[in-house]
Amino acid sequence: MRTVENEIGEILSGTISAITQRSIFNRLGPLAGRPVNQLSNADRMTVMAELENSVRLFARRNSAELIASCARALGADGPAGGTAAAGAATGNAAAAASAKKLPIEQEKDIATARLEAWSEAVRIGLSKFTSVKVATAVSELARNIVFYAGKGTIELRAMSQGLQIIASDQGPGIAPAKLEEIWAGTYKSQRGMGKGLVAVKKLVDEFQLDTAPGRGTTVSCLFRGER
Amino acid sequence: MKDQQIPIIQIRNCLLVSIQTELHDRLALDLQESIMERVRVTDAKGVILDVSAVEVIDSYITRILNDIGKSVRFMGAVCYIVGIRPAVAMTLIEMGVELDSVNTALTLDLALEKLELLQS
Repeated sequence: MRTVENEIGEILSGTISAITQRSIFNRLGPLAGRPVNQLSNADRMTVMAELENSVRLFARRNSAELIASCARALGADGPAGGTAAAGAATGNAAAAASAKKLPIEQEKDIATARLEAWSEAVRIGLSKFTSVKVATAVSELARNIVFYAGKGTIELRAMSQGLQIIASDQGPGIAPAKLEEIWAGTYKSQRGMGKGLVAVKKLVDEFQLDTAPGRGTTVSCLFRGER
Repeated sequence: MKDQQIPIIQIRNCLLVSIQTELHDRLALDLQESIMERVRVTDAKGVILDVSAVEVIDSYITRILNDIGKSVRFMGAVCYIVGIRPAVAMTLIEMGVELDSVNTALTLDLALEKLELLQS
């Protein structure tokens, strides 16, 4: 049975020294010795959050690829990949090969969502640059949820034509007048630049916004894979 | 939330800050404050922010960087961002956000060189 330590150690060897690896696994505690196919989704998040920090800190290069490989090894698409398998079981297999729904409630969820989106983009074969765009767009959308709605979800769907991202919340919604300011580029928020939605719209290939005061906000967008 | 702090290192009359962690609201404000305080105390001529470990820069992070750049400029010093990754630069261009309150250099070395030229 392959443990977290087996899988991740293999990926990190050659880039991160054995001593440093030891300390990373120590920080993971009992999770390091857990067989990969017995990880719950919560475990997977915990392990990835820890690994992301460590790999960024210690890897001299390619930390993004390393992090993405780690996410893959931990079962994003493995036989026991909980969320991916569940998505395929319920969804239309042809339209959505896999789907993942991430809760967004606090600032640290933004980083988690970004990482998940990144590894999903890499997994379905989007280019390196596109994957960074995906991660950036998800970062903007997750930040909007945390800042303005308090909580919501971000769903990642691997489709045949690319990666679909659906950010949805039950927050205050956006009034039509404010929306006009946002698209005109004249809106300035207290905490951000007021440019998040505009930025996302420019990054993605397809963009759809559904919002009204009191009805929450849903942003649905698609990144197409390159041909 | 864990009590984090981003270290500020002094090299001659420059301050070096390497951003290795997620910048959230609180941390960003603390960082801005401590950079300004250190500029005041050390009379630093330049502040260099290394973002080579930052894989994603969204509009919020851009705003933080611009704010730090502005406040450093108000104090009479010059702010350089170094180590922006190619994919990050491309993404910023596509998003149409500007890093216009800071200077940029490819590497820490080049930023130090430029700062030295400024002072001579």
